[in-house]
Amino acid sequence: MTTLKVENLHVSVAGKEILKGVNLVVNTGEIHAIMGPNGTGKSTLSQTIMGHPAYEVTQGHVTIDDQDLADMSVDQRARAGLFLAMQYPSEIQGVTNAEFMRAAINARRPEDDQMGVMSFIEKLDEKREFLSMSEEMAERYLNEGFSGGEKKRNEILQMMMIEPKIAILDEIDSGLDIDALKVVSRGVNDMRSSDFGALMITHYQRLLDYIVPDFVHVMMGGKIVKTGGAELAKKLETEGYAGLRDELGLSVQLTDEDVNSYFVED
Amino acid sequence: MADNHSIQSLPLPTFAKVRYNAWQLDDMIPATETATTPFFMKNKGNGIEVSGLSTTYQHLTEAMTAQGVILMSMVQAKIDYPALLEKMIGTVITKTTDRLSAQNFAQFNTGIFVYIPENVQFDDVLHLTLNHLAASGKDLVARIFVYIGANAKADILQEIHTIGDQKSKASVVVEVIADVGAQVTYANIDAFNEQTTAYINREAEVRDHATLDWQNAEFNDGNAIIRLASQLNGEGATSHANVIGLTTKKQTQGFVTTILNRGRHTLGHIFQRGVILNRSTLVFNGIGKIIKGAQGSDAQQESRVLMLSRRARGDANPLLLIDENDVTAGHAASVGRVDEDQMYYLMSRGISEQVARKLVIRGFMGEVLAKMPTKEAQQQVVTEIDRKLKHEDESN
Repeated sequence: MTTLKVENLHVSVAGKEILKGVNLVVNTGEIHAIMGPNGTGKSTLSQTIMGHPAYEVTQGHVTIDDQDLADMSVDQRARAGLFLAMQYPSEIQGVTNAEFMRAAINARRPEDDQMGVMSFIEKLDEKREFLSMSEEMAERYLNEGFSGGEKKRNEILQMMMIEPKIAILDEIDSGLDIDALKVVSRGVNDMRSSDFGALMITHYQRLLDYIVPDFVHVMMGGKIVKTGGAELAKKLETEGYAGLRDELGLSVQLTDEDVNSYFVED
Repeated sequence: MADNHSIQSLPLPTFAKVRYNAWQLDDMIPATETATTPFFMKNKGNGIEVSGLSTTYQHLTEAMTAQGVILMSMVQAKIDYPALLEKMIGTVITKTTDRLSAQNFAQFNTGIFVYIPENVQFDDVLHLTLNHLAASGKDLVARIFVYIGANAKADILQEIHTIGDQKSKASVVVEVIADVGAQVTYANIDAFNEQTTAYINREAEVRDHATLDWQNAEFNDGNAIIRLASQLNGEGATSHANVIGLTTKKQTQGFVTTILNRGRHTLGHIFQRGVILNRSTLVFNGIGKIIKGAQGSDAQQESRVLMLSRRARGDANPLLLIDENDVTAGHAASVGRVDEDQMYYLMSRGISEQVARKLVIRGFMGEVLAKMPTKEAQQQVVTEIDRKLKHEDESN
């Protein structure tokens, strides 16, 4: 079993504190969802775990199987089993998808046991078809000219090819139509096993209809304020974040504070 | 030579911020080596390989021959088509342009001649390969002339290599005419070795409604000055001048890329990407010039260099010379470092920093790489980039 443990994590971006003491444990075999209003630090958490240089840990720790991530470079974290499906994947012309994925897989394998072209293509074809992606995508340049939906699918394809232990999916549902959402969800569900854990970041309950989480965490004001099962997400959908905040007696300012007042029920 | 004095009195071509006077490019002795077997061209379809004074590969389908296409070495063309040559050579780059071009005109003893009559369409890429046989220490003085007739269509892939390791020089002048309505891509991969100091000058005349796009990849290992120019003489003529270059070790590659908008509604875009490693120097000069009367014309340029070593030297100098009001023009230039977001993305997949860096460097030149006319040519550019970057691994 692999465990990702976040302990009292404080993170600043450009001198401004965004995360103010996050605690979270994700084990393989578990699917976690983090929900929360805009600007509450959900993406900061995912980028910090992966090691984006702009995010500065000012207090606390993140470990994977008791190894402190602070001592590990981004690529070392990935090779230790972490994966981040990004909201805004980079585009790189001149580097094909296939070459990129093969390099990623082979970076995890010893020099004398690199994955051959044939077995790579076999696996790629299988996963690609599973995600209803066209054959030509393998030879296209990395994310170059991909639509928003294609990029999201490509992130999931990479996840399926690389087979990480713990994947963080940062708003993998944003900008997807319902069919694409189903395809992406199918990919994540296919990965579900005792060797795979996921942390999904989302605004919407909708995603959780397709990928049913074991745990739902609500983040507000840079902290996790409530943890529950899948039913917590449904409750949020009806009551909104403001309702939960008031229930918990928190004094957090929400970006879209007064949204529920527009929907007056009779 | 009779007019040697008048040649020597011409000025050297201007390559701003590149000091090349000591390279002695105006003092060449044309080499006379020959070879019998091809070096790079084997079963390449339509194309020619000229090595030294000899032709080591030549193939043109019967259909193309029947349509009047001429594809041969300069040596052969001087024998078979002296009048045509006389009429054409020197019309795009005249013999009084500058000292180095004039010298090439007076001295060239090898090269390639291509004549594509009107309406002929090449479906496959036409390969032109030129090899400098550097066994004697004498110099390559070569001329390539390509005429593409009205409404003809051709994708050309030209390569240059050095065979042999004697220290020598090279002068290559390439003239292209894209006649009315012609559609031409001229892609080249230049890879002279470390022992060859080179002067390369390519210029196209683009006539009414013709399009001539350059994909110019410079992977020479020695010092080189490289000029690329399009004259948009006809109404609605279009040219994209895409340039990539990579310099390593102690070499210098200096570029001048010029587009001249002379006809009305002409479009000229310059796009340059350079990567500078070790103690090398790379300088981009981009010149967009719009002549009075070229109404409705568009001149844009973007030149960026990536500096990957503190001891590297690089520059990107844009210049717009506009003598007409009714035009659009713009320029951008920068000297930058490796894209951190791309590095992060690649490394987040477990790819090491060293490998990620190579891929990001390739990505920096990717826009031109992607426009190479064949998959094979794209792969060749990838191979050249990897080859040039290999030295960096060794020196780190």
